[in-house]
Amino acid sequence: MNSAPMVQIQDVHKRFGRNEVLRGVSFDVQKGEVVVILGPSGSGKSTLLRLISHLDSLDSGRIYVDGRLVGYEERNGKLHALSDRAASIARADVGMVFQRFNLFPHLDALGNVNAAPTHVRRIAKGEAIARGTELLTQVGLADKLHAYPAQLSGGQQQRVAIARALAMNPKVMLFDEATSALDPELVGEVLEVMKQLAHDGMTMIVVTHEMGFAREVADRVMLVDGGVVVESNTPDAFFDHPQHERTRSFLSKIL
Amino acid sequence: MIQLPVLINFDPGIVWEFLFSDVVLEGARRTLLISVLAQAIGISLGVVAAVARHLRIPVLSQAASLYIWFFRGTPLLVQLIFWFSALPQLAPNDFGFGPLQVHHAWFLLSPFQAALIGLSVNEGAYMSEIVRAGIESIESGQMDAAKALGMTNLQAMRYVILPQSARVIIPPTGNEFIAMLKNSSLANVIAYPELLYESQTIYHRNFKILELLTVASIWYLFFTTIFSVLQAELEARLRPEERRRGLVASIGRALRPPASWYGGTGDRR
Repeated sequence: MNSAPMVQIQDVHKRFGRNEVLRGVSFDVQKGEVVVILGPSGSGKSTLLRLISHLDSLDSGRIYVDGRLVGYEERNGKLHALSDRAASIARADVGMVFQRFNLFPHLDALGNVNAAPTHVRRIAKGEAIARGTELLTQVGLADKLHAYPAQLSGGQQQRVAIARALAMNPKVMLFDEATSALDPELVGEVLEVMKQLAHDGMTMIVVTHEMGFAREVADRVMLVDGGVVVESNTPDAFFDHPQHERTRSFLSKIL
Repeated sequence: MIQLPVLINFDPGIVWEFLFSDVVLEGARRTLLISVLAQAIGISLGVVAAVARHLRIPVLSQAASLYIWFFRGTPLLVQLIFWFSALPQLAPNDFGFGPLQVHHAWFLLSPFQAALIGLSVNEGAYMSEIVRAGIESIESGQMDAAKALGMTNLQAMRYVILPQSARVIIPPTGNEFIAMLKNSSLANVIAYPELLYESQTIYHRNFKILELLTVASIWYLFFTTIFSVLQAELEARLRPEERRRGLVASIGRALRPPASWYGGTGDRR
């Protein structure tokens, strides 16, 4: 058994021009742990997820997924960016679900789910179809295999996006405000799929505004503000006995 | 009898005589052939150059910028003359040795080879700008999603970005092809026997210049009209809100991606 954390984030800094979005973020996520990140918009939550999946490059610090440095090679204490190919292999270990779904509009649901397994992993077509069908069934879309994104509701699209990310058998799943773009009545079906994933033991980092989900599903809740982790605690302690003034004022505005 | 002055020296009978003559038909066939080939190669070159520049692939990206700058900035006529007449000057003698032996004869191109290279390479420079606009029309979330799934930049281009940008790329490519049909007539200066060249060989013998230019123009108009109609049909097919029917529409339908990409059909939810 590997007892090392699944995700290690060490003193990560990131700036866009003059704007320093992350000012030294550090935390670990254990295997099977569900961490919910809260924070006002512009606090750097989404940027943090984009760094973990290496969609953006960090300025300093280290991020490890399953013991492997994300996006870089360390030689003599210095970071060297990996080649596109090497970085993309590492990226496949991190599943990402986006606020805007970002489904491929020219492919049907099954095509979306199978795109990476067939083109990246070169899995045989029949095998990919069987696995894709299984995943779409798992997210409750067995009857929508051949529907195009434009024919699906937002909630259905997001569930296809989750199945698509799962198809690469990621070691950790990142959710970037996965329900924020949905009509209120469609939020539940997506949260339900996320709960099931957590229940099945997936390691998850979830950026969300859904306090009910945070309280019910999270192992740990974190407040990120001003580019740093302000507070990190169990859901009960976080919501019922916040330690920091910043956390109290944040919670008072949203609850 | 009063002799009427001749106002226009034009004999429609000559037009009719040559419109379907073997020589003219052969010229028209070559015009169509070289246009289709040069457009196909031009599209390929354009895709390579546009992707290299978009992904900022080292060396290839700079080479692509230089290529576009040079071939868009010099006249096509000059380029055609270069490939046919000036290229041999770059290698007046054999050089190298063994398997690396380079023969000067390789640099002597036939009119067909020179015309094909000249038209293709010139077209590639224009196509790359069209393909670039297509790539840039796709929202950045698509690239994020492809990369998050473990695709390399090239895989993301091949399977996600380029298939979607076809919508934006196809209409101006139709314009390019229609221009190509006409520009291929420039190849007559390097003795490629296309439509204009063949018409000229006839009027150099019978001096019926206006009649033979009419013959050539009728064929050019025939080709450009056919392809304009096809292009219009294809464009309509790429716009989901327009759903026309008809004989020509069926050709466009064969080339059309599923309407369901664009939310045009199907039951929502």
